[in-house]
Amino acid sequence: MNESAHSGFESARAVTPDPINPKIRTMEVVDTDFHFSPPWPVIRSYLKEPFKSRIWHYPAVGLEYNPEPANERPGVGQDTHGTAGTGAEVLRILDQFGTDIVILNPGYNRPMSIFSEPVLAAFCEAYNDYLVKEVFPVSPRIRANMMVCQRNPELAAREIRRVGHHRQFVGVFTEFSALYEQLGNARFDPIYDAMRDFDLVLTAHSGGWFNHFSPLFNGARTWIELFGNAPIANAIVHLAAMIVQGLFDKYPKQKILFQEGGVWWLSDFMLRIDDFYVSAPGDIALTERKLAAGERYLNKLPSEYILENVRFSTQPITIPKNPKHFGWMLELCHAKDLFCFSTDWPHQTMDPANWVVEHPGQIDEAMQKAILGGNARKLYARL
Amino acid sequence: MTDYFLCKPGDIPEGEGRAFQAGERVVAVFHANGRFHAMANKCLHRGASMCDGAIADGGSTIRCPWHNWTFDLETGRNVIDPREALRKFQVRVEDGQVILSA
Ligand code: FES
Repeated sequence: MNESAHSGFESARAVTPDPINPKIRTMEVVDTDFHFSPPWPVIRSYLKEPFKSRIWHYPAVGLEYNPEPANERPGVGQDTHGTAGTGAEVLRILDQFGTDIVILNPGYNRPMSIFSEPVLAAFCEAYNDYLVKEVFPVSPRIRANMMVCQRNPELAAREIRRVGHHRQFVGVFTEFSALYEQLGNARFDPIYDAMRDFDLVLTAHSGGWFNHFSPLFNGARTWIELFGNAPIANAIVHLAAMIVQGLFDKYPKQKILFQEGGVWWLSDFMLRIDDFYVSAPGDIALTERKLAAGERYLNKLPSEYILENVRFSTQPITIPKNPKHFGWMLELCHAKDLFCFSTDWPHQTMDPANWVVEHPGQIDEAMQKAILGGNARKLYARL
Repeated sequence: MTDYFLCKPGDIPEGEGRAFQAGERVVAVFHANGRFHAMANKCLHRGASMCDGAIADGGSTIRCPWHNWTFDLETGRNVIDPREALRKFQVRVEDGQVILSA
């Protein structure tokens, strides 16, 4: 297109704008939630026998709902913004969004709904082995949460111990929803025992809304209900169980990163859980870990465990129009210590980092650095 | 207000958009149903490039490529929440040239 003055008019230049704020490219950005989807034939090639000879397709999961009816983008399923299945593809997206280090999460949709635990465990092994053999060697910028069969804590622990020595695994991927038992339950202690031995963070990612019968979910009709709001309630339930069932008293160094469960409820939650604890703590002594330890109470106030052990990834952040309110919300939710940036690429609500640097009145330079990368560096022992 | 020469009409195919640097501004220009529309290129939600969006609703709206915020090409207003509006600019075809006033 013409770049010179024309017929007496000023000339304008055709450009390809970079939608990423230039400041982002000058800062360290750690994306704590990026979904990685190796092609099924690749995963199958890593499946061990006898699974490889008997399973020809990605194991069918239960009824799945994706955002297509809501975002009117037919044919792309969950992966609204693309698919990355190799290390090279991951690096291309990181460069596009100004990300320095990424922590991959499995992109396969709802593997936990595979009904057979042995099949699921074999699938997890294949996925983790592919990362170790072909993806980690591509770049130290690529880290990952390993995939485990969370329904069966012994199988999950076995997998953590099998691959946990690979330092580019920085955590363990699990899902929370109303369809899963609370991740804070003592039944999952084999997983926490194994993670403790390898200094791994537990990623608790929203998931599994559709694949089993649940009156709550069967009554839902829209993406807004299923994806937009149910995860908030679910995150609260799972986090409360971790605290009051004594997870952090038994594993004081265990770090948890909640993903896609929202953040702004924290201010009320911290007050409310402390309030209930102070006035009615009696049945805490009846939980498995407290019974085993012969303890009556928690070692700290519930909200103190959050500040010490729990972090929250940001996507999809919501930003109020009134900047004053935004500032208050960030402060009430301890954003400068608790928030870890995430994109959730390539899903519908994929959230690039622009927002972190575009509200300097509420998010100052130090908080920008903390949210974009500093908090993740403190959280992950292996980063 | 300055008039800028952008391109020839055929340089922006029907149903597509392009971005132009006009002075300090980056403006997205769309060609829909034989007409040209110009608006600020940066989406009000998270800053995506509107020129990469999809023209929809029979050529009357533009959808953001990131999260689908949909803006009326005539008014620049978000079709769901009209309080959110992208700044519109005048654009015309004159003597076989697409001219932007910005
Ligand atoms: S950036 Fe445009 S809809 Fe989100």
